[in-house]
Amino acid sequence: MSSFRSNLRATPYREPGWERAALYLALALLAQITFLHFFTLRDATVSPVLIAVIWFAIQADARRAVIYGFAAGFFEDMLATGTGGAWTISTTLTALLAGTLSRGFFADSIPLVAGIVVLSTLVRDLTFWLVMQGQGYPPGLGALHFHRALWQALLNATCVIVLMLVMRYRERGLSEPK
Amino acid sequence: MFTYRDERRLFAILSVIIVAALVALVQVSAARSGTTSPLSAVVDSVAGIFEMAVGWTTIAARSGLSKLAQTPHLVRENAQLRSQNIRLEQQNARLHEALAASSAERGLAPTLTQNLHALEARVIGFPPEGESQSVTINRGSRDGIHRDDGVVNADGVVGRIAEATPFVSKVILITDYTSSVPAMVQGGRWWGIAKGNLTSVRMEYISQDAPIRVGDRVITGEARSFHSGALIGTIERVERSDTGLYQTATVRPAADLSSLDRIVVIPK
Repeated sequence: MSSFRSNLRATPYREPGWERAALYLALALLAQITFLHFFTLRDATVSPVLIAVIWFAIQADARRAVIYGFAAGFFEDMLATGTGGAWTISTTLTALLAGTLSRGFFADSIPLVAGIVVLSTLVRDLTFWLVMQGQGYPPGLGALHFHRALWQALLNATCVIVLMLVMRYRERGLSEPK
Repeated sequence: MFTYRDERRLFAILSVIIVAALVALVQVSAARSGTTSPLSAVVDSVAGIFEMAVGWTTIAARSGLSKLAQTPHLVRENAQLRSQNIRLEQQNARLHEALAASSAERGLAPTLTQNLHALEARVIGFPPEGESQSVTINRGSRDGIHRDDGVVNADGVVGRIAEATPFVSKVILITDYTSSVPAMVQGGRWWGIAKGNLTSVRMEYISQDAPIRVGDRVITGEARSFHSGALIGTIERVERSDTGLYQTATVRPAADLSSLDRIVVIPK
C-alpha cells in the first residue's frame, strides 16, 4: 500500500486499514508510557501518538480522522493523571485540522507534511492547556510550556521526515524493475 | 725488446704484486699484534649490513609462516576469550543490578519498618505526553492502596496517590501543579504550603517574620496524606518582599523524582 498519492509508479491510493492504524496507535501509546520518557530533548519528547494521528488524518477522510483522533486522545486521557478530557478534545481537533489541511495538497510532500506536524503539535498543545485551564488548572500554562511545545514540534517533524524518507526509499526499491 | 703493450702488462703485474704484498703485510702485522686489521674491519662492516638485512628478512619470514600456521589455534583462542569476556560482562551487570537493588532495599527498609502498613511498590509507567508530574506504580486497591495515601522513597517525600485501580495506582509527584502539601521548616516550625512548580516545590504562605535561610530542611506537617516529619527537601531560594504578608521559598526535593524506581506507599 502506498501513502504517496503523487507517485505515478506507486500503487493506487487506499485508506489505511483500521487494524493497522489501531496497532500503530497501541504501539505508540505503549512506547510513550514506558520508555520514551527517558529520551527527552529540553524537556520535550517525541509524540508517536500525534504522529500516528496525523499519518492517519492525511490519508483518511475527515470523519475517520476525527474518530481516530478521538480514540487516541481518549486513551491518552485514560493513561494520564488528572487531564480529564483535555487530550481527547485537543487530539480530536488536531486530527480534524490535519485532515482538513492535507485535503487541498499532495500528501506525499515532505515539507508539507512536516509543516502540518509542526502546526498540529503547537495547536494541540495550546488547545490542551486551554482545556486544562477550563478544568481548573492555573492560567498561562500554555505560554509556560510553549518552549517545550516548540521542541516537541521539531522532534515530531524530524521523526516524520525520516519516516517518509524511509518509506519513499522502500517504495522506490520495490517498484524498480529487477 | 719490450713493446708498449708488454710494458703495460708488466706494470699491472707489478702493481698487483705490490698491493698483495701490502695487504699481506697489513694482515700479518695485525695478526702479530692481535688486533683487527683495517681491511678486515671494512669488509666485516659491509658484510654485516647485508647479514643483518638477510637475518631480519629470514626472521620475519619464519615468524610470518609460524603465525600463519598458528592462525586456526589463535582464532579458536580468540573466540574462547571473547565468549569468556561476554560471560564476565553479563555477570558484572548482574552483580551491579543486585548491588543496586540491595542498596535500594536497604534504603527503604527503615521506612518499611517504621510504618507497619507501608507497602513497597515499583514505578512501571509515566504520563503519555509528560504533561503532568506523575508515575504509575504496580500496586492498586487490591493491595490496600487508597486515594491520597502518601508516597515516599528512601530520600524523602515523593507524592500522593491520585488514582487507585485494582492493579495499579497513579502517583502525583510533589512537583506537579496540583500537588499541595502542608509543610514546615524544620528548624523553627514555621508553617507553609508546599506546592508543585514543575521542576521544584514552592513553599508559600510562610510568615514574613520567619527567619528562614537557604539550606533549611522542609518537612511535612500532619495532614491528609502524611504524618509530620517526612523530609520534603531543602530551601534553595527565599523570596521576601518588604510589603508582602508572607514569604515564599523554593524547595529542592530531597527525592530524585526523575529516576524513581522503588517507592513506599504509606496508608494513613
